[in-house]
Amino acid sequence: MRLARWLMLASVCACALVPARVDAQPPAWKDAAPGRLLSLPADHASHPDYKIEWWYYTGNLEAADGQRFGYQLTFFRIGVDPAPLNRSRWAVRDLFMAHLAITDVTGRRYRFSERMNRSGPGWAGASTTDYRVWNEDWQASLAAGGVHHLVAAADRFGIDLRLSETRPAVLHGDRGYSQKGAAVGNASHYYSLTRMPTRGTVTFEGRIFTITGQSWMDHEFGTSFLEPQQTGWDWFSVQLDDGRDLMIFQMRRADGSIDPRSSGTLVAPDGSVTPITFESGFRLEPSDIWSSPASGARYPLRWRIRAPAAGLDLSVNAAVDDQELHTEQSSGISYWEGAIDVGGQMDGRAVQGRGYLEMTGYSGPAMGSLLR
Amino acid sequence: MRLFRWFILRRLLHEPLRSVTTTLGIALGVAVVVAIQLTNASSLRGFETALNTVSGRASLELVGAGIGIDETVLADLGWLRQYGDVAPLVEGEFVVRREGSPSETLRVLGVDILRDRSFRDYHLVASAASGEEPGPRELLGLLLDPSSAILTAKFAEPMGLAAGSTLLVQADDRSVTLKVTALLKDEGPARVLDGHFVLMDIAAAQQLLQRFGRVDRIEIRLSDPDAIDRAEREIGPRLPAGLTLQRPAQRGRQVENMLAAFHLNLTALSYVALLVGLFLVYNTVSVAVLSRREEIGILRALGVTRGRVRLLFLAEAAALAVVGCSVGVAIGRLFADATVSLTATTVSALYIATAAAPPALDWHVLLLAFATGVPLSLLAAAVPAQEASRVAPIDAIRSTDQVDARAQFPLRRLAAPGALLALGWWLATLGPLGGLPIFGYLSAVTIVFGASALVPAILVTVARVLERPARRLLRVEDWLAVTNLAAAVPRLSISVAALAVSLSMMVAIAVMIGSFRETVIYWVSQTLQADLFISPGSRGPGSADTLSPEVIDRVTRSADVLAVDRFRMIDVPYDDSRIRVGAGEFDVLLTHGSLLFKAPADARSAMRRAIGRNAVVASESFTIRHRAGVGDRVSLPTPSGPVPFEIAAVYYDYSNDRGVLMMDRERFATHFGDASPGGLTVYLKEGRDPEQARLNLLRAIGAEYRVFINTNQSLRTEVLRIFDSTFAITYALELIAIVVAILGVSGTLVTLILEREREFTILRLIGTGRSQVRRMVIGEALLLGLVSQALGLIVGLALSLVLIYVINVQSFGWTIQFHLPWAFLVQSSLLMIVATAAAGLYPARRAVQLTMRHAE
Repeated sequence: MRLARWLMLASVCACALVPARVDAQPPAWKDAAPGRLLSLPADHASHPDYKIEWWYYTGNLEAADGQRFGYQLTFFRIGVDPAPLNRSRWAVRDLFMAHLAITDVTGRRYRFSERMNRSGPGWAGASTTDYRVWNEDWQASLAAGGVHHLVAAADRFGIDLRLSETRPAVLHGDRGYSQKGAAVGNASHYYSLTRMPTRGTVTFEGRIFTITGQSWMDHEFGTSFLEPQQTGWDWFSVQLDDGRDLMIFQMRRADGSIDPRSSGTLVAPDGSVTPITFESGFRLEPSDIWSSPASGARYPLRWRIRAPAAGLDLSVNAAVDDQELHTEQSSGISYWEGAIDVGGQMDGRAVQGRGYLEMTGYSGPAMGSLLR
Repeated sequence: MRLFRWFILRRLLHEPLRSVTTTLGIALGVAVVVAIQLTNASSLRGFETALNTVSGRASLELVGAGIGIDETVLADLGWLRQYGDVAPLVEGEFVVRREGSPSETLRVLGVDILRDRSFRDYHLVASAASGEEPGPRELLGLLLDPSSAILTAKFAEPMGLAAGSTLLVQADDRSVTLKVTALLKDEGPARVLDGHFVLMDIAAAQQLLQRFGRVDRIEIRLSDPDAIDRAEREIGPRLPAGLTLQRPAQRGRQVENMLAAFHLNLTALSYVALLVGLFLVYNTVSVAVLSRREEIGILRALGVTRGRVRLLFLAEAAALAVVGCSVGVAIGRLFADATVSLTATTVSALYIATAAAPPALDWHVLLLAFATGVPLSLLAAAVPAQEASRVAPIDAIRSTDQVDARAQFPLRRLAAPGALLALGWWLATLGPLGGLPIFGYLSAVTIVFGASALVPAILVTVARVLERPARRLLRVEDWLAVTNLAAAVPRLSISVAALAVSLSMMVAIAVMIGSFRETVIYWVSQTLQADLFISPGSRGPGSADTLSPEVIDRVTRSADVLAVDRFRMIDVPYDDSRIRVGAGEFDVLLTHGSLLFKAPADARSAMRRAIGRNAVVASESFTIRHRAGVGDRVSLPTPSGPVPFEIAAVYYDYSNDRGVLMMDRERFATHFGDASPGGLTVYLKEGRDPEQARLNLLRAIGAEYRVFINTNQSLRTEVLRIFDSTFAITYALELIAIVVAILGVSGTLVTLILEREREFTILRLIGTGRSQVRRMVIGEALLLGLVSQALGLIVGLALSLVLIYVINVQSFGWTIQFHLPWAFLVQSSLLMIVATAAAGLYPARRAVQLTMRHAE
């Protein structure tokens, strides 16, 4: 459910700005549909018929000397006009955005950088035939042997990582069709690779570290996602040391209640999936509020995840307080996305783990209202 | 100081007319210099400000050869990212036409809105439509609608446009409706070109200008601006062929070089007026010294030193100069409005599109005015002040001494003027210095000084020659006038020289322009052979304007049309300046048209042989400016790197002084990638009426396209109109110099009369009538006018030769056939003689008053 980034973009490209078309039958974006089945690796590639698509990598890494890092690399494609009338190469069919963030957990430092481009002469894009998505010199692609190769570098920090697919992809919702809102079509096609052994290098403050670790990949595409009363969400991805992976999120509504479409997925080491439904009565309890000096937003840095039906009771701590990404330049919306430490009980046994947490809607306009 | 107040200031106030004329003389001289400085600055600085503001924070830029950069190269320039931000840019122009007001040209800046924020700062006017403080949203809105544009508040508000309005514009030959998305506050880039600036997204700009596939520049903003040298060193060698790395200022320098000759000519011209003004200072101080010999004598007898006396008169000159310069700066600012509008047509017709923004007075113009006006005035006053300091106290008080009237003129005095004239001759034979005719101007100045130095000898000779016929044939007062002339040679020489100098400049310029005009008329009649000329309705000076394929198709298929030459002109950097490279259909041109060739003898067959080869036909100004000739190779920057072209022939072209290289259309398309024509030259079938054909074509092209169709006749008229407007400023400047010179003649005569107070008294005492005195004085004035005019004509003709054969050739590279504008010269001569005689009226009245006072 990693909506944050694309919501910001959608806010920028609010539909009112799309030119009135004189065509009798204006070209339209395709809605996510239940019958469409996902097939990998073909569906790693881009789906330009849908308005919104993203490829999302997060991970916890460690250097040989024990220095710990978290990273986030995200590529977004936001459809603007499915068939521009202007035949200029610069005409914008899609906007391409990318975010790169690295947390030096040991040194308690956080760096991020963003890119926003049109396709233009090939500055950014996403291939439809094979998996390759890029934004200038940042790129994610599928190398030989099913290895995902990520390359991105900003000023004095960057990554060059190779991620292996070891477990089958988790298809969310109904075989990958994920309902997001009450309205028909407010859905997406969505899958995750929850545990990807990772090796490569991290550059931080100009130093290069050879690292190993675990990554998580999400790929989601669709046309319409959120509803106006949905103000933000808290989204967790966790890799536990007993071999299980957990994805769980809640959508907050304007009236303070939790949207019933909030849910979770527990993945066993063999890849089998146990859904955690809202009706089963899970709770995400925030505490330990931290105020961002940059945006003024107040984020809870400590969480308790309780899902009795699934035998889950975990406490979550931010690995570093300030892991807030500001996008003043592009949209003015900020969100918190960072490495977390997890510990607690799983079916009565003690477990530990690491993961990533995304918190949106804590500052600026309500997320859902931006996207109509 | 008290002495100064008592002795100088009081006197200046007592003789308001003298003070005022002198001040006015200096003021006019300074005003003209200031006006021209401001004018030159306005065209250049207008361009430079535009350049700087529009370049924003870009520290380097990539430019292509010819018609821009193929945008696909950007895909391979990703490595530039390591140096900083990189953004492409499309620039162009379109025209806004409204009923009842002149059409206005707007400059479009098509930027990548997503990347441009790091290059330029924009601030929008909060509008009712957005209702909120504008954010990046409005800028991003530009992305989505190819008709959306951001205008400046300065341009839009007077037109009643606001965010949400629409605006109909002419881009090339097309009418396009733009949607105003937002308005830019009057700051930053919005100030460029007096608000005639439009911001669009690069995609929208490409569609508006129909220039797909190419960008004009790629800007680079270095992350470390201090590392610009290193970045330049490293980036340059890695670039693909056809791309050039430069600093944005480089374009400014090219334009500066392009305009250098034009500006130097104006500057030189403006100093003539100042020079004449300085003669006036000399005159005035001389008058003061002469009329107050007695007082000087008394001062000296009272113990005032020579040095103090000299200082007093220098102080007078300084006082006049300071007032004159102050007034001059103010008048200059007023003149500048006129001179800017006089030159704007020329600059934008021939060189660059620049809004003729009203020039602003700044401190260095003030500094220039005072730093030239005051010291030069002091220099001019130095001679009479020195004379004042030499006054012997006793003689002055007794009024026994007078300025020696040397009627004799030793032959050895001819050595200096002779040497000067010879030097002038020699200087005229030297080549240009740094592309500018520095030696040519020196030659002109030397000739002027040489001729001025000859004035005493000429006056003595004239007086001697005229003395006998005047005594025999005319009245006694005329004879007296002649002898008086002989007696006052030293004093008169300066005034005559001043007048003669300004007249000679007038004559020289008249002859030069007259010759030039005749040459152009001949050239037009020989080369403008086609029947109709079609150009896009926007018709800016930009080289990017092109005609739509549909228009070309409709013209070509018309039943009236025999043949069509599709031509294109683009600007190309060459030798740190900019030249024009043209494409035409050599075959059509050779069959139907005609060029006036300079070389070689069989130029037409040479031109035919140039088809299909890398060969060009060069304009004469190119060959002179860049020292090339038939058979030489010139290297032109093309998108695939420099390509050598052989000069097959040289033709005369007076439409452009920057140099033109023409190649066959097919060659142009091969090397520059696109030969969309910027205009059509149409030859009609035998017996078709051009006016009727023009109407037929307009009908065929239809209302959806806006084009200009000129008939041969109307184009000829247009050429001469531009020609005449180009030289309007020249005449205006010269007229001012002459006004100053006539003030000088009048002043000189007053001097002479004051000097001859006693003589007039005697004349009256021995029975000379008032009218006789008047006639005598006016006769003297007339004589001065005659001599000045005669000398002015002779020197002027000599100068015109320098102008035509040295300065003009070196500045502009044009061959001008010498031609005397008889009618103009005769008319102006008569007018001048009458004017100088009229200048004698006031001195004559003074003389009559003097004699009356003494006779009573």
